[in-house]
Amino acid sequence: MVALVLLLGCGVFFWATFQIQETNYGTLSSRVWPRLLLGLLTVFSLGLLAQAVARGRDETAKPTGSWLSRYRNALWCYGLFALFLLSLPYLGMLVGGALFVFACLTALGEPGWRRVPLHAAIALVSVGAMWAIFTFALRVFLPEGEWIPRI
Amino acid sequence: MILENVFSAFGAVLNFETLALMTVGVTAGLIAGSIPGFTITMAVVLTLPFTFGLSAVDGLATMIGVFVGGLSGGLMSGMLTGIPGTPSSVATTFDGFPLARSGKPGLALGLGVWSSFFGGIISAVLLVTLAPQLARVGLEFGPWDYFSLVLFALTITASLAGENLLKGIIAGILGLLVATIGEDEINGVARFSFGIEDLKQGFAFLPVLVGLFAFSQLLSDVQDSAKARLPLMDAGRAKAVKVEHLTAIKTVLGRWANLVRSALIGVFTGLLPAAGGSISNILAYDQAKKASKTPEDFGKGTADGIIAPEASNNATAGGALITMMALGIPGDVVTAIMLGALLIHNVQPSPSFIGDNPELAYAIFIAFFLAHFIMIAMQAFCLRAFLLVVRIPMYRLAAVILIYCAIGVFALNNVTFDIWTLFVFGILGYVLKTLGFPLAPMILGVVLGHIAELNLSRALAISDDVFLFVTRPWSLFFLIVAAFSLVFPWYQAKRGREKWTLAYIPLLMIAVALPIFLMEGWLRPILAGALLAGGAALLVKRARGGWAVEG
Repeated sequence: MVALVLLLGCGVFFWATFQIQETNYGTLSSRVWPRLLLGLLTVFSLGLLAQAVARGRDETAKPTGSWLSRYRNALWCYGLFALFLLSLPYLGMLVGGALFVFACLTALGEPGWRRVPLHAAIALVSVGAMWAIFTFALRVFLPEGEWIPRI
Repeated sequence: MILENVFSAFGAVLNFETLALMTVGVTAGLIAGSIPGFTITMAVVLTLPFTFGLSAVDGLATMIGVFVGGLSGGLMSGMLTGIPGTPSSVATTFDGFPLARSGKPGLALGLGVWSSFFGGIISAVLLVTLAPQLARVGLEFGPWDYFSLVLFALTITASLAGENLLKGIIAGILGLLVATIGEDEINGVARFSFGIEDLKQGFAFLPVLVGLFAFSQLLSDVQDSAKARLPLMDAGRAKAVKVEHLTAIKTVLGRWANLVRSALIGVFTGLLPAAGGSISNILAYDQAKKASKTPEDFGKGTADGIIAPEASNNATAGGALITMMALGIPGDVVTAIMLGALLIHNVQPSPSFIGDNPELAYAIFIAFFLAHFIMIAMQAFCLRAFLLVVRIPMYRLAAVILIYCAIGVFALNNVTFDIWTLFVFGILGYVLKTLGFPLAPMILGVVLGHIAELNLSRALAISDDVFLFVTRPWSLFFLIVAAFSLVFPWYQAKRGREKWTLAYIPLLMIAVALPIFLMEGWLRPILAGALLAGGAALLVKRARGGWAVEG
């Protein structure tokens, strides 16, 4: 499966090399190096495929339900991080970041309401402190967010 | 000339501001290195944004401080709880933990700290003396040689990084491919932008590395919900102890042969691309055991078993810095990030860098030297901090560090696209890691991709004769060791059990003798002759022994 995905990726990227502009200057065309790499990647991916076929069917493959529970935390983190990124132009780094940390702690931590105040405090203090250091000490202007009034 | 540069560099680094920043860096490194799952790389990554506003000397001295602190921090958890803080302190646990458990935790820590110190100082001296010499050798390299060197760096990383060589090679090529996305450095043409405006410029170097390594590592750390909710470590049995400095210094210096041998193993391992502290500490431990008159004491808390791994892992950092500063080739993931940090401060290591910017280059060397003194001073304080930090559950650290990574990469160029890059490569890194692909070759591929393409283009611009890759001595040398490094995983797996493995080392010696013989000067042909004679003698000896293997 992995080898097939890699081969598919090689195909897509090889097709994309035709979109690379040809120049009449330079000794090495901009297409040559990526094509060389894609050629090598195809050969090694075929090797991986052959290795997988020779090994045979994986009898220990787990059902989808178990897969989901195994990667539950990673999926939560990626999902919340994607939401944080999408909301960044509106909520800014301070509010969006604190909400991300709070949501992440709540999703990964112990269930129940008992930990909510602690998670909220960790989110506010950790993101607030870092935001203040970057904004006031390092003079880095972090995204402010359209919906958030200026400080 | 070297002494003049050294004194001038001392002047640049020995001021209150730089030393204070280095102290913060070393402290952060010590604490980060002591926490299992929190790697030195992550500590370097998190420190980097704070150095943007600093001068190049201050910023780099801080980063070096984190690097040195991280290498020494791993021993605290290894000795007090039996769980190594970093892979580079795995072997320290073999004897450090038993010694601490036998009622001598102060001596165990003292031996570890002072071995790290002396190992680091030996490598710092070699760094100052060897880096300019290696840079001089680097000036002999043409584009053919550089291209072959990159090839060697990638093949040896692929062969050492994981169990499956094929996956290692695929990861390396994926890294090279990632480096092709965006504007082609040679012709200025956009590649693989797929109509996305931001992709036309390509990916910034550090968000890719942070995503691939730190982001994916954090998510692996919290994969198990129950484990992620527990404190990082059962620190109940670990108490703040008084380090026995005097006894430790006497013991370490009394075993100077082990100390020097281990430090040299560390420096040599660091010089090789891909081989970092995680390999050198085991190698040095193994050699110390073989050389010991009482090998049966190893594993029971012997001082030699602590001195060897700790001296070697700190010395590895010096070796890795030698290669990075002299040739611009990072040795491992940490030095790849360090290279990124240097680029942020407009420092581009190359063979001409040390000669062109001696004040900055030597300031880095001296910072590495001084960081070891600061490490000694801060160890006792960090021991207390370590005992506090390990009570925090991993999921809390992970959530906070994820957002710090986002803030850090945003601060690089002030563009949100860099956080998207971090996110996408965070997913890619996690998926690849879960599927058993080693990430180190990919990271090195990303770092070395431009160098490889640029040098291939230069080589073909000078001459279209591709045979120059095998007729130029340095290029041939790197291609030969690259070919041998590809066979290395099989050699390692079958060593002592199959007959052909007996010929591997002698054949390598004979093969590398040819390009060395073709090199200029009088010393290298003599060295080639010695290698040839040594290889031939080994072959004859093994043939006379009937190619007898253990199994």
